[in-house]
Amino acid sequence: MPILEVKDLKVGYVDVQRQTNLAVDGVGFTLEKGETLGIVGESGCGKSTIARALMGYLRPGGEVLGGSIELAGKFVFDLSPSALQKLRGEIVAIVPQNPLSSLTYHLTVGAHLREILQFHRGLSAAHAKTETLSLFEETGLPEPETIYKRYPHQISGGQRQRVVIAAALACQPAVMILDEPTTALDTTTEMQVLKLVKDLRKKIDTAIVYITHDLTLTNYMCDRVLVMHDGKTIEQGYADKIFEQPKEKYTRQLVAAIPRVDEPPQREKIAEEQLGFKLLEVKDLSFAYKPQWSIRQMFRKIAPKIVVKNVSFNIRKSETLGLVGESGSGKSTVANIISGLQSPISGEIYFTNDLLHPKGENRPPEVLRRIQLIFQDPLSSLNPRHRVGTILTGAIMGFFGVSRREATDRAVVLLEDLELPIDFLKRYPRQLSGGQQQRVAIARAFAANPDLIICDEITSALDVSVQAQVLDLLMAMQRKNQTACLFISHDLGVIREVSHRTAVMRQGLILETGETEALFEYTKNNYTKQLLTAAQRRDYIIEHHELILKTGSNSPRKMPFQS
Amino acid sequence: MLMALVRRLTLSFLILFMVAVFVFVATEVLPGDAIDVYLSADDLAVMSDADIEEMRQRFGLDRPAWVRFWEWFSGAIFGDLGKTLIDGNDIVDLIWHPLLNSVILGAIITAFTLPTAFIIGSITGYKRGSRTDGAVSTLTLVGYSIPDFVIGNVLIILFAVWLAFFPAVILVFSNASTSELLAVSLLPALTVIIGHVAHQSRLLRAGFIETMNSEFVERARLSGLPEKWVVFRHALPASIIPMLNSLALYISGLLAGLVVVERVFGYPGLGRELIEAVARREVNVVQGITFWSASFIIFMNLLADFAIIALDPRVRSAKSA
Repeated sequence: MPILEVKDLKVGYVDVQRQTNLAVDGVGFTLEKGETLGIVGESGCGKSTIARALMGYLRPGGEVLGGSIELAGKFVFDLSPSALQKLRGEIVAIVPQNPLSSLTYHLTVGAHLREILQFHRGLSAAHAKTETLSLFEETGLPEPETIYKRYPHQISGGQRQRVVIAAALACQPAVMILDEPTTALDTTTEMQVLKLVKDLRKKIDTAIVYITHDLTLTNYMCDRVLVMHDGKTIEQGYADKIFEQPKEKYTRQLVAAIPRVDEPPQREKIAEEQLGFKLLEVKDLSFAYKPQWSIRQMFRKIAPKIVVKNVSFNIRKSETLGLVGESGSGKSTVANIISGLQSPISGEIYFTNDLLHPKGENRPPEVLRRIQLIFQDPLSSLNPRHRVGTILTGAIMGFFGVSRREATDRAVVLLEDLELPIDFLKRYPRQLSGGQQQRVAIARAFAANPDLIICDEITSALDVSVQAQVLDLLMAMQRKNQTACLFISHDLGVIREVSHRTAVMRQGLILETGETEALFEYTKNNYTKQLLTAAQRRDYIIEHHELILKTGSNSPRKMPFQS
Repeated sequence: MLMALVRRLTLSFLILFMVAVFVFVATEVLPGDAIDVYLSADDLAVMSDADIEEMRQRFGLDRPAWVRFWEWFSGAIFGDLGKTLIDGNDIVDLIWHPLLNSVILGAIITAFTLPTAFIIGSITGYKRGSRTDGAVSTLTLVGYSIPDFVIGNVLIILFAVWLAFFPAVILVFSNASTSELLAVSLLPALTVIIGHVAHQSRLLRAGFIETMNSEFVERARLSGLPEKWVVFRHALPASIIPMLNSLALYISGLLAGLVVVERVFGYPGLGRELIEAVARREVNVVQGITFWSASFIIFMNLLADFAIIALDPRVRSAKSA
């Protein structure tokens, strides 16, 4: 008998107009003891709603419209509040997506686990503490005694994720729900956490519902996979089958949209012979943060923190240069320096052979127009109080001094180029989806008719299928306007798709620069090789990351599980 | 940590100085000075311009503004507010009793307002959308929207004119005994309390709703903890901190409210004294009162900052990290 059985579940949310929108529409699945089921889908497909419904919890405005959930022989929706309280934590536990905002900031990390143990297992305060410490050890937290007294913001992201996993394990639940547990973590930490979950699963007999947007991970983490779209089940089956031979069109598209590092790009780049003269040249750029003013600094010299060291590269007209590296490698700082937002401590930038002033505000308006920057988060870079039309026409009128009518005509062309409907002119940014917002941000950049655009992780926050579309449109815009591009990303697959040449950055240094295809196929640089292996064989890396990437002090320790 | 405190303190003194300058400039640009107000039309008719000028010299009003400012400010930081221009009375003596009276009134108001607002705010926030919430929120919106002087006058009509429980106009000396003051302070206190309870409980309700929707409250609930623990251990402390942040606004709102009700009821407090001093162009008194009020607001702000540092671990370790 399965531990969890979901039948024809329907959940809706009531919106402002008092209309009910189905978020989950007739989803059903079963979960056997000790089994791992992956629920995969893009943002807004209803997977997080299912995660919470399994615990008998709906976010405000939510309503169960049909179906049933049977968990360990109990129908979740029929339980009394006190029975539900016992169910949560004791039979089913959740690991939330964002551990920082999910931990109460004014309570110590230890207090979070202690109260769960005190309430659900009836332990005394002292006993609960020893139990908490051993849970911390099981989840590979270094120095449990110290962590116990820390507040959530004082420990690292990976450690926080381990804390919420430990909290979920506190009562050894029969079912554990992991809701995008690694989305907020960087790649290295993500690997460690996934390895931990996998190891724990071998030791304890917990069934897992693993919710993610990342199809490649499910293959490694799950026995079976359920693919969701728009609240409906697209298909379900064994993990390896779904990934290798998807039956449904939607799943095939999803798999195809994932940019691959190990295959030549699917997109056609602007031909090599059409690339023009040297548009931008960066020579020996260095950047350091000045130490904060303090009394101490007056007595003792504090070394400035160097973020970018002697970076040099160039970009030709119409060319795309990919800049790849892990978070904190200094990529974004390079983008900010070129666009004049930050001033380097040394080095020069030449744009069409003219030396640029380090400070953006001292550059001539014409130069400012010709270099445009697109950020990762479009919502915070577009003025929330301006309609899309105002954003675009304002920029066009400001740069070219044309009439409002002329500017509106050009804005319409831009929207058409980016395949956005014309009535978007009247919309506010927050009324658009993430992908649409990013397309508006691209339109805003191209409104200046620039010669160079700098794209700083512009697709990192987007779902894969939306990312594919944004990349297509960006490349089409570049082709149409003969625009050069500095494309910054941590995703090697994306870099391979769009860039002619690639520069690899680590700890402020450019380790190597080369033709993209040559670099991806024959690199000699060890770090680049590591990055490529990590991206290609994530499953392999997760198993062996300790051998491949030196992870420092917060790497998980192997601890036998004590129960 | 220590650095942050030192920086806060230094900044506070700087603000205090700027307040003093600002008040001085503001009284300086008003047309006329203490002499003009002191002299009646009859006096002016018999006095020549030279006489008036001589009188000005006698009171020291002919010296440049910055000299007078410095003379006053250098005393004020050591607690000596100087003397009134015309009568030569000591200003500290003059405003000491009104100050105590205002402190009593302010303390009564605060002692009632903050706990009441806290309870109303958290209950309506917790029962958001319920009938209780609807009714109470409508009331607080109304209470918040009516200006203090309207509430004051309505209360006077209600309790002094129609029901005759309280005197309509307060006739006590500023050095009256505490019990006497308590008896007359009820109506003015109530006036300010209505508006402030309404305002503060709305603030707290909004903050509490936001906290209840936060991910950490959701996680606590999903760990199957009893509702009491979720509310009292996780949610409520997290909504006190934003309330402390708004304390600055509360204190300055309270002082403004005091000026209004003291005027409306004729309560012998600092606010009434201030208005009279402005009318007499007693620059030094106006400055003295505003300077002390500003010091009080800044001091309370510092206290609130320290309380936040003590309560919010994120702020506490921000400097040491």
